[in-house]
Amino acid sequence: MSKNISRRDFLKMGGLAAGSAAALGALKNVMSAQAAPQVATSVQTAADQKIVASTCHLCSAGCGIIVRVADGKAVKLEGNPMHPVNQGSLCPKGQAAPELLYNPDRLTGPLKRDRASGQLTPIQWDEAIQLAAQKLNDLRKAGHPEQAVLMHGDTRGQMRSFLTRFMQAVGSPNVVSHESLNVAASKLGNYLTQGVYDLPAYDIEKTNYILSFGANFLEAGSNPQRTISGYTYLRRGRATRGKVVVIDQRQGIHGAKADEWIPIKPGTDAALALGMANVIIRSGLVDADFVKNYSFGFDSNGKRKGFRDFVMENYDPARVEQITGVPATTIARLAGEFASNKPALAILPGKGGLLNGGFGGVYAAMAVHILNALVGSIEAIGGTMTQRYMPCADYPKLPSDSVASKGLKTDRLDGARSKFPLGRDAYQAVADHILEGAPVKALFLYDANPAFETPGGKRFADAFKKVPFVVSFSSFMDESAELADLILPEPTFLERWGDDHIEGLGFPGISLYQPAIKPLYDTMNTGDFFLKVADTMGGTIAKAFVWKSYEEVLQFRLKDIGADWDTFKELGVWFQPGYRFAKRGSPKWLNEVVGKDRLNAPRDGYFDLYSRELNCLLGKMKKNELAALRISMTGDGANMPHYEATAFTGDEAKYPFMLNVITLMSLGPKSEAANLPTLLEISGMTVGETWSSWLEMNPEAALELDLNDKDIVWVESPFAKVQTKVRLVKGLRPDVVNLPYNLGHTAGGRFAKNRGVNGLELLNPASEPLTGLAAFTNTRVKVYK
Amino acid sequence: MSKWSMVIDLDKCVACQACSIACRFENNTPVAAPDQAELGRAIRWNDVFPLPVEDEGEYPNAKERYMTRPCMHCENPPCTKVCPVGATYQDEDGIIRQNYARCIGCRLCTVGCPYTVRYFNWSVPDWVSPLTEHLNPDRVEGRGALEGPSIRPRGVVEKCTYCIHRLQKAHAQAEAEGRDFRSDEYVPACVQTCTGKARFFGDLDDPNSTVSQLSQKRRAFRLLEEAGTNPKTIYLQEG
Repeated sequence: MSKNISRRDFLKMGGLAAGSAAALGALKNVMSAQAAPQVATSVQTAADQKIVASTCHLCSAGCGIIVRVADGKAVKLEGNPMHPVNQGSLCPKGQAAPELLYNPDRLTGPLKRDRASGQLTPIQWDEAIQLAAQKLNDLRKAGHPEQAVLMHGDTRGQMRSFLTRFMQAVGSPNVVSHESLNVAASKLGNYLTQGVYDLPAYDIEKTNYILSFGANFLEAGSNPQRTISGYTYLRRGRATRGKVVVIDQRQGIHGAKADEWIPIKPGTDAALALGMANVIIRSGLVDADFVKNYSFGFDSNGKRKGFRDFVMENYDPARVEQITGVPATTIARLAGEFASNKPALAILPGKGGLLNGGFGGVYAAMAVHILNALVGSIEAIGGTMTQRYMPCADYPKLPSDSVASKGLKTDRLDGARSKFPLGRDAYQAVADHILEGAPVKALFLYDANPAFETPGGKRFADAFKKVPFVVSFSSFMDESAELADLILPEPTFLERWGDDHIEGLGFPGISLYQPAIKPLYDTMNTGDFFLKVADTMGGTIAKAFVWKSYEEVLQFRLKDIGADWDTFKELGVWFQPGYRFAKRGSPKWLNEVVGKDRLNAPRDGYFDLYSRELNCLLGKMKKNELAALRISMTGDGANMPHYEATAFTGDEAKYPFMLNVITLMSLGPKSEAANLPTLLEISGMTVGETWSSWLEMNPEAALELDLNDKDIVWVESPFAKVQTKVRLVKGLRPDVVNLPYNLGHTAGGRFAKNRGVNGLELLNPASEPLTGLAAFTNTRVKVYK
Repeated sequence: MSKWSMVIDLDKCVACQACSIACRFENNTPVAAPDQAELGRAIRWNDVFPLPVEDEGEYPNAKERYMTRPCMHCENPPCTKVCPVGATYQDEDGIIRQNYARCIGCRLCTVGCPYTVRYFNWSVPDWVSPLTEHLNPDRVEGRGALEGPSIRPRGVVEKCTYCIHRLQKAHAQAEAEGRDFRSDEYVPACVQTCTGKARFFGDLDDPNSTVSQLSQKRRAFRLLEEAGTNPKTIYLQEG
């Protein structure tokens, strides 16, 4: 046995000598057993173990988790079976989260940067609180509290309202969400038709037929785990198997799993949806009760053109074939299947092709959502639902404050609702406005890394130079934190209090973040930080924040959810299961389902096929004004969804490929996940790549360019060029290439740094003029060796 | 005695790789550094990968397909037969196990296995501090020697154990509570985490178990059935 000595030593080091407390059987004939049939097996485990229910923060699904804590260390995450979104499942990001917690590149305490030298100095939290309080008080003394801006990421649950309340108390309307980078286009599509500014929830489990318009719902999307759960139930969880059709330039996982993949021309989804509407109307397959009694603008009248005539005149399948490249027969067949296999669903993407730099993307979202209306799937079993939220206790009224009320009356600095009249947030435009001279004197970045995650994000580096006080709350030294004056690391989601709304199932629910272990480092929950800043600022701001800790804020806000705090902590989740559909025309329909968020058009319970909200904005515009917004239709047509050709950047002859930056299941949407080594290892599974970027290209396209699989190529747009490896992918249109997102970091940690390329650098950084949406799919590139 | 078996419904699998990563964190397999990963030396006892589609049409008719693959835990395993030192063996529950103290790293089993699910660990795991803090503290010994999930020494072959430490803990729990162990008390980490609920686990000898019933379905098949290995990891076809 001498050859085993080194391993025996290893075993001793591993703790064998400690004795096996939990040994099951006697260890007989220990090393002499040669292939003995009877094998004694023993198991040892940690002495002190517990599980903690919490919530994952690595994408916008917000799955419930159960953290196994062994001897004070968080060693494993499982899905929380109680959580209705993931029902015990957990994706690779969640599984890899211990690498986030125990990441060697985490920031271990607050830092201050000297602008001139770039030198970082560790500081105490008290100093950080003083600096922030003083800065904000100075702005208030100068009468310009609105010059403080806060940019944030997903930040759902109470944190969003808490941060908003803080900024309101200070006197700034400038709380800017990153939604203009992802879900805002779909939300606008819902808003301009149904009158609800939110993502529709989809009753996937009970539908018979899904048309996915680039929703990428098995990999990324706005709530991937929710859609995976629904999808697998639809396919195999019930007696009849639902059909799934995927409309996307890239096949990806969802196209590979679908019954049919329709590789549509980029940016033409609106035409396809309206072509299908044309067939549905012509065939008499519309839900007559819905269009007659609960929708606005189906038929023409003396004053305006109706949706029916508009679609009949403009979207004959033969013409739609010219636009989309999808054969007219396919359009007719899909429309027929969709309308005669009710309940049927047309699903909007969380990101993707709707963000094409023009208002055409929002028209496309409207057109897709209207397909649901035509077949009676709005607020119906197997159709769409309207997301409800857990009732939270109202914050006490803010104390009256003349400085704050003056500041709150100023226009939003990102241009939302002023420069961008339909925009709610224009995250990426903050940089442009600062560079154009907008006075921003303090900028807070919460769960935000705009220097990396926006198209042309590098301009944020220049913008930050013009802001005298930039604060990042990132747990890692990411691209934006690298440019900040104060870096005030927040603990990871496994070490802090917080909560998240449960979304995607319609019914209301709350999921809790709680510390599975004590924070490892000298970090502070950003909620606690702002409470301390408020206290230090004194006056009306201190009065607005009476809580001692952010945990207390949660307890206050969630006191009426129906669970006491201890029960909620134990379960980690609380919800009111079972979505109750509102009856058409009922008071609930009027108050909660159709029209509730409309700002100008009447909240009368009519679903707009002809958008009255748009009419309020565009109705009086002349042709040249509309043309300036790149809307080619005038009059009634501008108020109805229609196809607008995407204005691509880059001449087609010179730049033959549209660039698509795809979000992966593995690396997901959050910058911090890019520094998890396990996720980097598995990120390129679909093409056999690892730890780096790749460019996906159709083999026929590669043949024409004389490129071979794995050649190193340049990908060049009119804005920038990057070098990476080309991989041939058959499930992809020949005129589109893809780069994966969340690679190519220049900061954020040793694993993330300098791995691959960031495709967003190649994209057109301009914002859509009506909505302030970022543009992700309107840039062409060329590829060469 | 049970006859442990896993059924994987490929129709529900969405190739998310959660199984691979749940396995990694449960069983302490190391991250493959870029150079090692490039050489194909990544250790994922359960791997997810695309199937070649050479003969399945060209654009736009090409259909990408994905596969997920743990150990097949064959009833007639080739790997145990070729091991010169008896380091790998089939236990009384039909699980193919690996005794790291006996393994000499000759890798005969890795080539003997037609499913290529046996992984040689070429290097000492390199976890940068404090990444080691998340390692699973569980430790299973069979015949008095390490079988996992504690870190293995360099130069041995390692593989899927159907999370045998979980099985042992479930047995210990039942014993501590003074009752019989039930075969639905334990599932491997990959089954627990599966985002599509595509994985099922249980006792193939129990005619009422989910795996027994699924294994009778028309869609059920085993990989390389013609090889006569008789895997207990069973697949259900897509579509």
